[in-house]
Amino acid sequence: MKKALAIVATLLVAASAFAQGTIKIGGIWPLSDITGKQGSMAAQLAVAEINAAGGVLGKQLELVVVDDELKADKAAAAVEKLVTVDNVDVLVGGMGSGAELGKIPAFKKYGKVVMSTGAASYTVENALGADANWYFHLHPWDYNQGASYAEGWEAIQATYKNVKIKKIFLAYEEGAFGKASWDATKKLFGETGRFIVDGAPFKSAALGGGDYAAVLEAAKDFKPDLYLWAGYDADALPMLEQAKAMKFNPGIYLGAPPGWPIGFGTSKLSANVMLYGMWAPAMNDTNKASKKFYDGFVKKFKEEPQTYFAPLSYSAIYILADAIKAAGTTETAALIKALEATKYDSPLGEVVSFTKSNVIAHQGIKRQKILQWQNGRQEVIWPLEAKTSTPVYPFPKWK
Amino acid sequence: MAMKRRTTILVALGLAAAVLILFWKPTVLIYGIQQAGLYAAIAIPMGLVLGIVHIVNLAHGEFMMVAAYATYFACRATGMDPLVAALPTAAVTGLFGWIVFRLTIRKALKAPELNQLILTFGLGIALSQAVNILFTSQTRKISLDYVSASVDIGELSFGVWSFVFVAVAILYAYGLKLFLTKTTAGKAALAVGQNPRGAAIVGIDVDRTYGLVFALALALVGAMGALFLTKSAIFPGVGGPFTMKSFCLVAVAGIGNIPGILGASLLLGLAESFLRAFRDLRGWADIVFFVLIIVVILGRSIKWRKS
Repeated sequence: MKKALAIVATLLVAASAFAQGTIKIGGIWPLSDITGKQGSMAAQLAVAEINAAGGVLGKQLELVVVDDELKADKAAAAVEKLVTVDNVDVLVGGMGSGAELGKIPAFKKYGKVVMSTGAASYTVENALGADANWYFHLHPWDYNQGASYAEGWEAIQATYKNVKIKKIFLAYEEGAFGKASWDATKKLFGETGRFIVDGAPFKSAALGGGDYAAVLEAAKDFKPDLYLWAGYDADALPMLEQAKAMKFNPGIYLGAPPGWPIGFGTSKLSANVMLYGMWAPAMNDTNKASKKFYDGFVKKFKEEPQTYFAPLSYSAIYILADAIKAAGTTETAALIKALEATKYDSPLGEVVSFTKSNVIAHQGIKRQKILQWQNGRQEVIWPLEAKTSTPVYPFPKWK
Repeated sequence: MAMKRRTTILVALGLAAAVLILFWKPTVLIYGIQQAGLYAAIAIPMGLVLGIVHIVNLAHGEFMMVAAYATYFACRATGMDPLVAALPTAAVTGLFGWIVFRLTIRKALKAPELNQLILTFGLGIALSQAVNILFTSQTRKISLDYVSASVDIGELSFGVWSFVFVAVAILYAYGLKLFLTKTTAGKAALAVGQNPRGAAIVGIDVDRTYGLVFALALALVGAMGALFLTKSAIFPGVGGPFTMKSFCLVAVAGIGNIPGILGASLLLGLAESFLRAFRDLRGWADIVFFVLIIVVILGRSIKWRKS
């Protein structure tokens, strides 16, 4: 009798565990980079919050993270491992376009729903093709970014009459990222005739360079209203120091690196430097979703989110969880249908929904933001409806 | 006599070119000299190791990177200026160099050169990966007011801080010359570098001398790591490109020719700065370096064949 009861009890426990199970999410980020590291942490935060609130469809979410080291081959292997070994239901993550390109053959092979948090290069969507209806891209494409900057500067000039931008100079790093920025800037700002555009390359400190004298001299001779540099975080402070030494004073000094060095805001030189981005902690003052995300991140990890890839990855998990809930399953066709109906009020200050882009059917965010370092923190200047401060213009003369 | 005349002509031509550049675009000369100082100050310790221990230290730049990280965290914790931290950093990296030598390099001294290269290459990768895992790849920089110090001459404004590297390079070159020729330890190092077997016969502890030289070189690299932090942002991969440049400079100068590294660095710094002054030629600034090394090595081998 005792033996029979034990067998029944064991079967009941097993049945209950099967019913509960988990919904597995496979996450791929470059973990040694701050963008990927904090992106994966934010995704973990979202999973913990959702699980604490009862999970999805009565099941707990489980996030399995693999490091792609920003390399295409590692990224491709990560997809294979997550799908075939870990048996994940959906995929999330991504940062660099090169690594994303590496994943595409495996994405196509398995056809799982992918919620991409990175990859701005249009080459990625060209490689995906119009048929990749399982691919949901949250991050704006490079042409989305360019168009939103042009829109932003026009709006800023229309709103703040003292801001005048006619001459734009782009200092761009010699690699693919910088050259793509230069091509896009020439096309977007130069071809309309509204702006006079000039630019020069420099070798980024991230790639063994770090001497900006020649490019700053060229910029100084051009006397730009807007000086924009497209490089990496390693260039941010040394370039400012050299600009100060050379007494280079453009109307607007703007940086567009993927991330900023640790403690950049604490440097006196950061004051009134503008930047392109998607999120800043200053948005906590005006956006409840941003504050909830920020407070949760700081509480869980005892550090501040320093990159917009954190709220973006956090959003990615919530969007997936909401869609799984709405679909009642992780089955691909039903999930795609549910994701197409997404209206998620994100910490990034906008309601995310998916619309068509140049190639793919499911593009999420299309606009970036123009921000400015003021008193050690990034303030949103544009879009005007999300602004947290007014621009300090012109960039003050060096003392 | 012919050699002296040739040298005089070369120096005169160099001076004439410098004067022309000074009138055409003075910043080419200013930034070229500053860059040369940085290259030389980093390359000289590698020249010392190669000249005496006969090892190409492919972890050279990574040792500088580790010293810069140590300085960064020491400065953050204590509020110390990196300039002040240069001496303690030198002492710590010197000790670290001694330990690394005893544990690894000493065991590969009699191994084929390829093994030595692989060993130091591996050390470099281990150091950069360890820093990457511990501190991530995000860049760090200490912002210092004096780094933006500048001089105005008419319309021209230029930074002067980087001249500190020129001073350090000269100090390293002539300090080492004094050490090697005037001190007992230095003379022993020179003897070991020229003929280790002969030095051992006359009672010099060769292994100990190698260790001392390696530790001294790392102390100099360590001090440079602290100074490097004043000007540049640091991240795990920041040292790698300087290993390659240092090796090329040492090769151009000739093995064991430490003052020659100053000349080679000046040539490289000015050539790079000159090319960067032309917008369409900027991409060639990196290639000039390798052209230089090919020309010098080919020239040497032709000269050797003739003799």
